[in-house]
Amino acid sequence: MIEKIKETVKKLFKENKIDIFIGYSEGTLPLRSTPCFITRSEDIEKLVWNSYCSNNLAVYLPRFFVSQRGAKDAKLPRIGILAKGCDGRSIVGLIKEHQIPRENIYIIGIHCGGMINTKKIKKVDIVAAEEKNDKVLVEDEDKKKVELKKEELLADMCKTCQYTAPAVYDILLGKEKQKTKKEDREAFIKEFEKKPLEERWEYFQEQISKCIRCNACRQACPNCYCKECFAEQAKPRWIGPTNDISDVMFYQIGRIFHQAGRCVDCGACVRACPMGVDLRVFTYKLIKDVKEFFEYEAGVSLEEAPPLATFKQDDKQEFITEP
Amino acid sequence: MENKKFKIIKKKEILKLLESLKKEYSIFVPIEDNGDARFSEFKSGQDIFWDYRNTKISPKEILFPQAETLFCFGPGAEVKAEGSTPGGKDYLIFGIRPCDAQAISLLDKVFGGEDFEDPYYLERRKKTTVISLACSKPQIDCFCTSLKGKPENEEGADIILFDLGEDVLAGAVTKKGEKFIEKQNKWFKDAGQSDVDKKDKLMDLSLNKIKSQIDIQNIKEKLDNAFNDLLWNEIHQKCLGCGICTYFCPTCHCFDITDEINPKAADSKTPEGKRVRCWDSCMYPLFTLHASGHNPRPTYKERMRQRIMHKFNYCPENFKEIFCVGCGRCIRNCPVNLDLREVLVSLMSLGSLCKDKKI
Ligand code: SF4
Ligand code: SF4
Ligand code: SF4
Ligand code: SF4
Ligand code: SF4
Repeated sequence: MIEKIKETVKKLFKENKIDIFIGYSEGTLPLRSTPCFITRSEDIEKLVWNSYCSNNLAVYLPRFFVSQRGAKDAKLPRIGILAKGCDGRSIVGLIKEHQIPRENIYIIGIHCGGMINTKKIKKVDIVAAEEKNDKVLVEDEDKKKVELKKEELLADMCKTCQYTAPAVYDILLGKEKQKTKKEDREAFIKEFEKKPLEERWEYFQEQISKCIRCNACRQACPNCYCKECFAEQAKPRWIGPTNDISDVMFYQIGRIFHQAGRCVDCGACVRACPMGVDLRVFTYKLIKDVKEFFEYEAGVSLEEAPPLATFKQDDKQEFITEP
Repeated sequence: MENKKFKIIKKKEILKLLESLKKEYSIFVPIEDNGDARFSEFKSGQDIFWDYRNTKISPKEILFPQAETLFCFGPGAEVKAEGSTPGGKDYLIFGIRPCDAQAISLLDKVFGGEDFEDPYYLERRKKTTVISLACSKPQIDCFCTSLKGKPENEEGADIILFDLGEDVLAGAVTKKGEKFIEKQNKWFKDAGQSDVDKKDKLMDLSLNKIKSQIDIQNIKEKLDNAFNDLLWNEIHQKCLGCGICTYFCPTCHCFDITDEINPKAADSKTPEGKRVRCWDSCMYPLFTLHASGHNPRPTYKERMRQRIMHKFNYCPENFKEIFCVGCGRCIRNCPVNLDLREVLVSLMSLGSLCKDKKI
């Protein structure tokens, strides 16, 4: 697969179709790949594709266009990007929200087999790792090797991923992956919905009490491109900048609500969090509700208007009057 | 260290010792927290996480909390400075890693330096005794030996401990440490040569385990002329601009001060607001945003450059010290694996030609 990717990127540079390519290269730590920006064709060899390519690369796109916005004859860069299913959906969202021009993005879509959540590996002293088919071989400092099944290490969102390849792309690589069933996908959220209010509240409290307001969840999210986040605005000051629970709560509730109809469940926020804060049930609940109420799914079509930007006479409204 | 300086104490006894000190000190120890380690106030019956690698959040939060109220204000309300040690007790920071102890000595230069004195920090600091715990299990991204550190570095500690299994070897580093041990003499025995040999062996092994070594001897000089280098255009590229690398860093010390107003405080006796100081980060765009709307560090590039330059050039200039102790936290926790070591190595490769390179 990696050879196919390299070949494609090489061709794009050769045919002068892109100025820069965003993919992944080998990380400096075991079980890590790292985003990589390529402008010289000799660097293409650095590219890798494995089960550690978990960062959502779409997050980098808006910054290439932000300073040029409004400038009439600015020369906009042409960017090639490797897109898993979730990255691809985020790209669609950014195009629809006018953050990036479609014609400047060359999307190399790839069928994704899911990414590993390293936090699921309980061993602390891993010094090396090797991926072999559906297994991951990890080695500790005493050179002891343990074989782990990739399936068991998959990130939660990957385990139930619905779109393992982007819906919008310029070229699509790889073999189609098996889709998860809707029941499996929604089992966790159904279970959570069944819990009494107090228990759900308790879960929320428990998660946010770990938060240190480092903002990584927001920064890792392609949807969070606002030049000034409400959480930091000084005039008016909506919330304080501290890690006090009331500030954290406001920050997280705001962040989550701003994802309505936009979140693609890539899990970038959960993956980026250094404190293990997992609020995915809440973002997923929005995904489920938006789908049920407005028959809309984020990031799967360029044409369909986002629910927050449209009004239909028969839009569901009960949730406003009878929460 | 002279051998006679060392004392020995049974590990089991340490809990009793700490218990006996609770009246006098607020004691902070490493405990297990959500699968990681974190410093927390010592509670009776609690065990110490002896084998911890290093804490996720650095213990700087004890002396320089993420958020603290400086004072409260309001018409009729008494303006009261807060932020001193709780209950007026002294602080005992027990078992911090040598890199983090060294980081405290760096923070001392900032908050207790010649130019500025921070009364909030200093009040806590003066009352603090630092007992460090030498590392027997460095992590793969620990690179203290590339800076000034090593697994048994003493800088910043009053006493250093070595975990020998059932026993713990203790060596006083400062006068404060000596006095502490003297006062608690009944818990300690003089260490024998075999104990010291055991410690030496342990430290040799530990040193060998540090595989990450980079040569940044002249980093300050390299950076003197690097401000306008083209390399910065690449270094920042994958950065997300979060606060992880600076919030987790034991030497980062930037803060923001805001007023929190309570509009509900109608009766004039309750304070209407408080002035709060909390951590800030040079990786945030608002860090340098002027009231005019101008931002001298408008993009990721300038902000990343600031972080590196501050630690490896400006601080060496101002405080004669690199403000990195090689703890590896920024590497371990960066969500995009932007590795400080790689950044430094690439900056070290700048040739003399780069001087004249302009953007
Ligand atoms: S959410 Fe889907 S597309 Fe995204 S990384 Fe996981 S499996 Fe791949
Ligand atoms: S990444 Fe985690 S710790 Fe940081 S602000 Fe988000 S939830 Fe809080
Ligand atoms: S932790 Fe990484 S992504 Fe976050 S600001 Fe630092 S270098 Fe950038
Ligand atoms: S810069 Fe990174 S390695 Fe250095 S002291 Fe700070 S967190 Fe540790
Ligand atoms: S300027 Fe940045 S690197 Fe320097 S102490 Fe402040 S937060 Fe840390």
